[in-house]
Amino acid sequence: MTPIDLRRDWRKRLRILPQAVVVYVLLALLVIIMLGPYLYIFSSSFKETYTLISIPPQIIPEQFVWDNYTYILSELPFSLWFFNTILVAVLVTVGTVLIDALAAYAFAKKEFWGRDVLFGLMLATIMIPGALLLIPAFLITNWLGLLNSYGGLIIPALANVLGVFLLRQFMQTIPEELEHAARIDGCTDFGVFWRIIMPLSAPALATLSIVVFTSQWNNLVWPLVVLNDKDLYTLPLGLALLRSEFQVNYGITSAAAFLSVVPLLIVFLFLQRYFLEGLTVGAVKG
Amino acid sequence: MTASSGASQTTQGQSGPFWGRAAVRRNLNAYAFILPFMVLFAVFNIGPFFWALWLSLLRGDLVDQVKPFVGYQNYVSLTTDSITLKVFLNSLQYTVSVVPIAVVTALALAFLIGNKLVRFKDFYRAVVFFPLLASAAATAQIWSYILAPRYGVLTYLLGLVGVPEIYWLSDPDWALYGILLVEWWRGIGFHIILFLAAMLGVPEELHEAARIDGANAWQVATRVTIPLMRPVILFSVVMGTIWAFQLFDTVFVLTNGGPVHATATIVWYIYNHAFRYGQVGMAAAMGVVLLLIIMPISYVQMKVLGER
Repeated sequence: MTPIDLRRDWRKRLRILPQAVVVYVLLALLVIIMLGPYLYIFSSSFKETYTLISIPPQIIPEQFVWDNYTYILSELPFSLWFFNTILVAVLVTVGTVLIDALAAYAFAKKEFWGRDVLFGLMLATIMIPGALLLIPAFLITNWLGLLNSYGGLIIPALANVLGVFLLRQFMQTIPEELEHAARIDGCTDFGVFWRIIMPLSAPALATLSIVVFTSQWNNLVWPLVVLNDKDLYTLPLGLALLRSEFQVNYGITSAAAFLSVVPLLIVFLFLQRYFLEGLTVGAVKG
Repeated sequence: MTASSGASQTTQGQSGPFWGRAAVRRNLNAYAFILPFMVLFAVFNIGPFFWALWLSLLRGDLVDQVKPFVGYQNYVSLTTDSITLKVFLNSLQYTVSVVPIAVVTALALAFLIGNKLVRFKDFYRAVVFFPLLASAAATAQIWSYILAPRYGVLTYLLGLVGVPEIYWLSDPDWALYGILLVEWWRGIGFHIILFLAAMLGVPEELHEAARIDGANAWQVATRVTIPLMRPVILFSVVMGTIWAFQLFDTVFVLTNGGPVHATATIVWYIYNHAFRYGQVGMAAAMGVVLLLIIMPISYVQMKVLGER
């Protein structure tokens, strides 16, 4: 670069400096607003009871104590809630992806009587608010004898219309030639699905997995109506219970809330792309 | 299309018994793939839908074996019930507040992150996504401490700039806005990320052309960028409205509808009448009303999804 170029560049930078300062100050503010609450409860989870209600509030506690964590892990069935949440979220995710993929394959690649009517019907059910289905779904679960059990949490969640919709759209883009080639090689129908369609649909399957896993991890209403037994509680339900039992003991609620969020934060850091794609499926936020 | 190809297949395999015909086998084969989904879908979606409509015409407790038929009586009761109106007004007030606030702030923040000076846009995208990851229950816990009177950190920070103490969750005049604040934080990332994607998809030449024609930054934004983002903004408004009308989790954990029903929403009403007060019919009737509110809005969502 010649000196003249450098000077020009420098001048240009000076000209946009005020704008850059404003932009970055606002961005810093945005980062504080979005991440601040997480950081604040993280630091608060190490506070002692009396520093929790000190005025002015301590952003960083003078003294770090582990009491809140030892309390929720030893005195409350928190680790059990953690386990339940993982179990239910994983099983629902695996089950939904399989069941949805099977259906999506038929809707994307096969012709059968009533296909378009069925698909239209499925799409129409997106319009039904979950709260309307809550009561009869509860009664059916009760009738099937699944209340207060893992099955009651898992089975009713397995048919996900948006999942079929998402996978069908992706599978439609897979070229027919690949299927034909596999069939000539002697693949059965299920073989084509399992060996050709599923591997090629991996990105869409990953996106759906993330969406389902996140919404199960955070689901409150269904566990709330289905479960009685505290040992079967999932994390959101446990947190809601803590809120009513430990109103003002913010150290305990902060530690519990933080621990419940950490796994998803970690998964997010590794699989950001699929989280971002899953956003438009419209199901991430329950 | 289906009919014609089905016909040609039938003539091919006409000779064998019904189950052996090519078309029949092809159909059965496809049905085998959709069967697991359809069974669950019928039992937990379609069935409950019609049952819910039927329940809205009955009276009784959840566990009552026999629920007497009362016709449209529940719908009449809804109009005379003292808290129905409050619940509708709350949901309406909340929706018409949170949707415009979220969409406008998200648009502004998307312009901020989308600014050409900003590097590492992925970092800011991740930052605004973070609140979306927490459950409503965890978010409620986080904010109940921040919003606490006296020793809450927000109360303290607002006090520094001279704002008097606000009882965000226990003052009937403020509680709905306390909930709104929490939900804004929780949901804003959705709108920002959608807007950002749409904004960065607008071809740079269009901005250049407008600038050459003498448009300033504000004019480029309002006359070029935002009009091109219209479908995405519509989708945002639709989704925001659907969620706002179904607000429950945050209210359930933070205020449980209180104080004095200041944060009682439609879904809160449904949950409590069905599972607490033993008035399943009233709850179902309210659910049907919610359906009638959501359906036209969702129809737009379905159209938008169908176009993509």
